[in-house]
Amino acid sequence: MKKEQLFDKLRQGVTRQFDMPTQPVDGIVYPDVVQQFIEMSKTVGSKVIEAKTTDDLNHIIRNAYPEAKVFASSVKGIKADLNPDTVSTPAELNGTDVGIVQGEIGVAENGCIWVPQTMKERVVCFISEELVILIQRQHIVNNMHEAYKRIEMPEKGYGVFISGPSKTADIEQALVMGAQAARGVTVVIVG
Amino acid sequence: MKVGLFIPCYVDTLYPEVGVATYRLLRKLKVDVTYPERQTCCGQPMANGGFQRMSGDLAEHFEDVFKDYDCIVTPSVSCSSFVKDHHPELHKHECSTPEKTMELVEFLHDVLKIKELPGEFPHVVSVHNSCHGVRVLRLSAPTEEHTKPYNKIVELLKLKKGITVHEPERSDECCGFGGMFTMEEPEVSARMGDDKVKRHIATGAEIITGADSSCLMHMRGVAGKQKYDVKFMHVAEILAAGV
Amino acid sequence: MSTSHSKKAAQFLSNPENVTRHDKTFWGLRQKRDIQAHQLPEWESLREHASQIKEHTLTHLADYLEQFSDNLERNGVVVHWAKDAQEFNEIAYGILETHKVRKLVKSKSMLTEECEMNDYLIKHGIDVVETDLGERILQLMNLKPSHIVVPAAHISRHDVGKIFEDLGISKEIGNHDPTYLTQCARYSLRQAFLEAEAGMTGCNFGVASTGDCVVCTNEGNADMSTSCPKLHIVSMGIDKVIPDLDSLAVFQRLLCRCGTGQPSTSYTSHYRKPRPDGKMHVILVDNGRSDIIANPNHWTTAKCIRCGACMNTCPVYRRSMGYSYSYFIPGPIGVNLGMLRNPKLHSGNVSACSLCLSCDHVCPVKVNPGSQIYTWRQELEQFGTENKEKRYMAEAMRRVYGSYTIYDAMVKKASLVNYVPQKLMDIKLNPWAVGHTMPHIPKKSFHEIYRQAMKELDEEKKKKG
Repeated sequence: MKKEQLFDKLRQGVTRQFDMPTQPVDGIVYPDVVQQFIEMSKTVGSKVIEAKTTDDLNHIIRNAYPEAKVFASSVKGIKADLNPDTVSTPAELNGTDVGIVQGEIGVAENGCIWVPQTMKERVVCFISEELVILIQRQHIVNNMHEAYKRIEMPEKGYGVFISGPSKTADIEQALVMGAQAARGVTVVIVG
Repeated sequence: MKVGLFIPCYVDTLYPEVGVATYRLLRKLKVDVTYPERQTCCGQPMANGGFQRMSGDLAEHFEDVFKDYDCIVTPSVSCSSFVKDHHPELHKHECSTPEKTMELVEFLHDVLKIKELPGEFPHVVSVHNSCHGVRVLRLSAPTEEHTKPYNKIVELLKLKKGITVHEPERSDECCGFGGMFTMEEPEVSARMGDDKVKRHIATGAEIITGADSSCLMHMRGVAGKQKYDVKFMHVAEILAAGV
Repeated sequence: MSTSHSKKAAQFLSNPENVTRHDKTFWGLRQKRDIQAHQLPEWESLREHASQIKEHTLTHLADYLEQFSDNLERNGVVVHWAKDAQEFNEIAYGILETHKVRKLVKSKSMLTEECEMNDYLIKHGIDVVETDLGERILQLMNLKPSHIVVPAAHISRHDVGKIFEDLGISKEIGNHDPTYLTQCARYSLRQAFLEAEAGMTGCNFGVASTGDCVVCTNEGNADMSTSCPKLHIVSMGIDKVIPDLDSLAVFQRLLCRCGTGQPSTSYTSHYRKPRPDGKMHVILVDNGRSDIIANPNHWTTAKCIRCGACMNTCPVYRRSMGYSYSYFIPGPIGVNLGMLRNPKLHSGNVSACSLCLSCDHVCPVKVNPGSQIYTWRQELEQFGTENKEKRYMAEAMRRVYGSYTIYDAMVKKASLVNYVPQKLMDIKLNPWAVGHTMPHIPKKSFHEIYRQAMKELDEEKKKKG
């Protein structure tokens, strides 16, 4: 189909045009945005760790996953066995116990964290059994309206809001964590 | 204020006691109410079934019978919703009755604003919130919406001395009447009715009451078939008890 | 008087326990949605915004599609336009063939169901693997979805367990625990993600101002499908385009809250460019959407964002299940979309509505599917699909109610019906008798009582006077 044909048909089919709403939505604002973010993160199935800027993040992560063997990350300063920037194929990251990524914006209303693709293989966000997302305390906003005003798409042209682990309720509505992607998420709030 | 009493066709034929109770109650409340003869049906049954085109003459007739009243009151939520919502598109001429038509609970609560009622009613009742009462006339806050809960039927019933008022779980889920829906989808309709009556009974109520006789007729039929031990009364009958 | 829907519904209703389970499942989703709605003071304003944004976008759709496709191309994405299902399937296969793809992993897309793409590709030798757990179960069982968001909700854990055992996906025979079965599917699908040469996703929202294709999933299967293989194909209806990221915020907040009652899906993925060394294709499909937008009575149906909330709240859907509808999308929105697709074929679903209008009030974009069904009923006569018995009844009513004299005469005789024995009324020809006893008809109607009372009052006055 020629797109021009479609455009003509669409233009001819409309008899009355409507305007965009003039006022923006008055999104919910929380008295304690970080507290709300923590509660909502737990509601969506994540664990939450609060860390000081001076804390050793590697120590915190190792402590949170004492049994884990394979760590994967390209975050500066994070010790890892595999680096999503240098692996030759996504498949090499299969078998990762803990992936660690940097989140940019946390959203208090729904526990979403914006994770832009800064690494070469973004599959680390999904293929890891457990995912650790680091987020700066001052980067937590109230709602999605605020979040979408702030997000920046990285050069690689991909970004994702992650809200808790992969989940499904497709069998008799029983909630199961770890459908196809990470079974668990730990959010580390830094600052 | 001159009030015309509209008693819908099936209430007239099947539930005259609802008409009598409505009339007595309004008289007691000193309303200048009369029942214009020659009224028949608002045309809703055909329209819900897909034959609104056949309802046009009835809408004209309705206008003709009621146009000289200041207000038209009826003990039926679905009929008043139909007159308000659909009569305007059916009329070929200018019409005044759609905006003057009110359901009884609406009239008592919003116009007369009654704050007390004589008479006792020492019974446990479960309120049936009919769909069009909730979602068209807004007699109560639709549970789908984020609005402050209220229920005009419950408020009025609580004016009766001795009454205990409950609402069932899923307080405004449909009972499955829907006019010709009952005839076209008898199995679904019967199951919806059965689920609804059971939830009413589970409140511990002796009586199921509501502002629409068609929902009550349907549930009464279902309860009869299943031999459930529960009674049905229109809100008007309870409000008029002992008056 | 039965319809295609009511006949199939009656079959489903013949097993009352199944109906109870089905009803509870979806009422549960409705309740979760209500909890979400009540947590946001701005809920009703959010719905109004969503509705207005959709009305604006649909009535400026050519402009937004142009902007969207320009941005896609600027971002290095290949754009295709498909007039109908056939063109869509051919384009999809063409891309796969060019890249020598043998295995395709795909996330959930109702558009590919609509176009019956899987059958087409499989016939052409492509190994198509559904990766949403519900869709995967249905694919293995060779069944169609019964709901657009939770497609396999009608299947029991035991049926899932059995098929997994038969196919060697689960090893522990008799273990039908949902957690165990989900893990088994995880291992099996993990292999498919790593082997596939291409991934296909649907698209919940296409952002015109940026060219983002936004996909919302809970399982992460869309992202697994697109971050392992190098080729990503997006299949989307032209109705999915929205103006900008501010609009997206409105829809993102509503979609999942309405659909599953969660504050957000686990993943809201934004695809703007192909992967490094990869390729990304977007197929924009009309397949009747431009006709819907041009339909003066029903164009607002195109506002739908496919959250499924209208199904969950529909008392008829919950008690009749998706398979009782003739169109592949069931429930209130499906009744409407079916009529827009082919009215003659899908008129049998128009009865599946008691006009309770609950769907109008849950709909996040105010499609008002219930009120629209009322309108469709009025249009059946023009397609020649109206129920003839029902028309006969309506005509009889019009005759009786149209003349007060006839009405009055009929009412006088109505109570004679009481003398017909209940058994005689319990016949198949009387649908009322399926679930009801007959109402008792009083000796006197209200208007007769009133007339008599007024007469007596007059006489009393005369006596006194």
